[in-house]
Amino acid sequence: MPRQKSERFIVPIGPQHPALKEPGHFEFTVEGEVVTNATARLGFVHRGMEKGAESRTWTQDLYLMERVCGICSHVHSMAFVLGVEKLANVQAPPRAQAIRELVAELERIHSHILWLGVAAHEGGFDTLFMFSWRDRETVMDLLETISGNRVNYSANVLGGVKVDINERQKDELLRGMDFLEERTRHYLKVVTEDDTFLGRTRNIGVMTFEEATRLGAIGPTGRASGLLRDVRMDSPYAGYPDFPIQIVTAKAGDLEARFVVRIKELFESYRLVREIVEKIPSGDLTTKIPRRIPEGETVSRVEAPRGELFYYIKSNGTDRPERVKVRTPSLCNCASVLTTAIGHKLADMPMILAGIDPCFSCNDRMVVLNGPAGQSLWDWEKLRQYGIEYYKK
Amino acid sequence: MNVTFPPLIALLLFPGGLFLLASGLVFEYVDRKFIARYQNRIGPRWFQPLADLVKLLAKEEVIPAGTIKGLFIALPIAALAAALTAGLNVPLFGFRPVFSYPGDLIGTLYLLSLMTLCIGLAGANTENRFSIVGATRALTQLFSYEAPFLLALLGPAIALGTWNIGEINQAAGMNLWFILSQPIGFLAALIGLMGKLELPPFDAPEAETEIVAGALTEYSGRGFALFRIGRDVELVIGLTLIASFYLGGFSSPLDFLWKTAVLLLITAALQSLFARLRIDQTVGLWWRVGAILLLVQMLVIIVGSSLAPFVSRLFGG
Repeated sequence: MPRQKSERFIVPIGPQHPALKEPGHFEFTVEGEVVTNATARLGFVHRGMEKGAESRTWTQDLYLMERVCGICSHVHSMAFVLGVEKLANVQAPPRAQAIRELVAELERIHSHILWLGVAAHEGGFDTLFMFSWRDRETVMDLLETISGNRVNYSANVLGGVKVDINERQKDELLRGMDFLEERTRHYLKVVTEDDTFLGRTRNIGVMTFEEATRLGAIGPTGRASGLLRDVRMDSPYAGYPDFPIQIVTAKAGDLEARFVVRIKELFESYRLVREIVEKIPSGDLTTKIPRRIPEGETVSRVEAPRGELFYYIKSNGTDRPERVKVRTPSLCNCASVLTTAIGHKLADMPMILAGIDPCFSCNDRMVVLNGPAGQSLWDWEKLRQYGIEYYKK
Repeated sequence: MNVTFPPLIALLLFPGGLFLLASGLVFEYVDRKFIARYQNRIGPRWFQPLADLVKLLAKEEVIPAGTIKGLFIALPIAALAAALTAGLNVPLFGFRPVFSYPGDLIGTLYLLSLMTLCIGLAGANTENRFSIVGATRALTQLFSYEAPFLLALLGPAIALGTWNIGEINQAAGMNLWFILSQPIGFLAALIGLMGKLELPPFDAPEAETEIVAGALTEYSGRGFALFRIGRDVELVIGLTLIASFYLGGFSSPLDFLWKTAVLLLITAALQSLFARLRIDQTVGLWWRVGAILLLVQMLVIIVGSSLAPFVSRLFGG
């Protein structure tokens, strides 16, 4: 019987695998159950969005950028809007900034609870998965009441926001936060006290402070290793100067710490939402913004639920951007998976992978290097053709 | 209940054969429903396990390249046959075992283990990496729970001085229930059964987020259906054994119903309470905790039962 004779036994996870909610490819070399090497290959869901942004107007791009990520859609549009406003030298009114922050925090709540469920599921703890996703519906409903949408809220417009909150919505928000806070307290208890769960998280996937610094870990993944890095605190944007956050960190750097940091960030978000609801400044929702954005380039950073989201926007003075570059947090954290994975059991891989809260679709890029033909710039048509040819094979 | 069935009926219709298969489906439904309710879900409709089975049976069975074809087809049949055969030795639905011989407890337990062995072989037969990892884990798990499970069921057997399931069933009801006199054995038997059936939290051999469907990844259609129904049948037989040994045996079908239902309720709760154990944690749990506790209990039983005559002579004489 023909059998593959190989010294190394490689377990592939992906591109299609039950542990992955999006296509990505990880190869774990195992000896028995112990992982000795790990490699990653990304780029299965490249969608050509950066290129697509160049052929759309600034307003159309807002809707395109919102669709970069299905979970953290608001932060993408916010990073884009803040960058464009900076270029146009326009400041959105305070009420709009507060509502931006409010939606961003609600989104963080929904994203962190979603992650809690997914991570629990990866560890085979389906009860926690079901319960946390049931409670997540509360915040989804709140987002729907505010914006009319569950996923792509499109709360932002250039120069302000589209949605307002009234007294009834304020009441609902406060009630929702009370309910979620009580549930979250319970989850914090579960992930720090349940013995079988701790067996899967404590001292698993440890990333020390030094390693986290070297690998450039960001967001809750980095904060769980003690990194004091949060854009909301480092360079406050939108409503954050008026409603500041308190940074949440942990020292251990293992999976348990990542759970604890994310759950404690939830409490911080609840506090912020309450504060904004109580002290929201009154006033206009939008200011005028020119259709053609003045020439220039800018960098805009916001703190997505997964870490720092980075936008580079270049305008050539027309109604379309010349270049939009997006760098999503998952890309920065991917390297940490490959390093921390080594030496652990195969059974821990899904949880270590989920520990960074990976989001592949939003970080897939295509890079064209200068080849022998000297070709370095592809237009939209050529990129599309390349895609068609690639999948024909 | 002492009813004797004609061999052919007992084999094909009741209590073995078709009725056992049907009750396997019912048990699976109840198990899934309980877990769903514990997890605050609605859960499946009553015919869902049957619908799953019919769908799988109707589907194409893909035999992957690089496998031994005969083995690939034969393994699920052997697994189901072993489970059904084991059914003949136990007091199903509260009736006397159809087929009984001295020491049939050991025979039945080996028939029940055949299922895991078949799953392990099925995984090792294919070239799929998930299957091979799954097979390794399934067999590792077999070695970890098998001995403690056997010890757990031997407790009542040694205490009663017979290794015949039918006799144990009858005698268990007359004494103090063994769940009270041998609580460690009861827990070990119940958890061992969960390990045997690869139910959460002992589902490392088929942990979907790690190795897809484990050893059965390459199985589809009929083969997969047979493995599934085989596991359901094993659930019925396993619960029957534990209930008849530890919950005072059965004297009527009604006894059978409520006792197994209580056990299902407990296993469903255990399934939804814990996170999945890694395979090394499973092995550690059984050998570091389970086996030692059971050996201590076994020692107490043996010493106790050999001292009993002296003690009664001392005080009674």
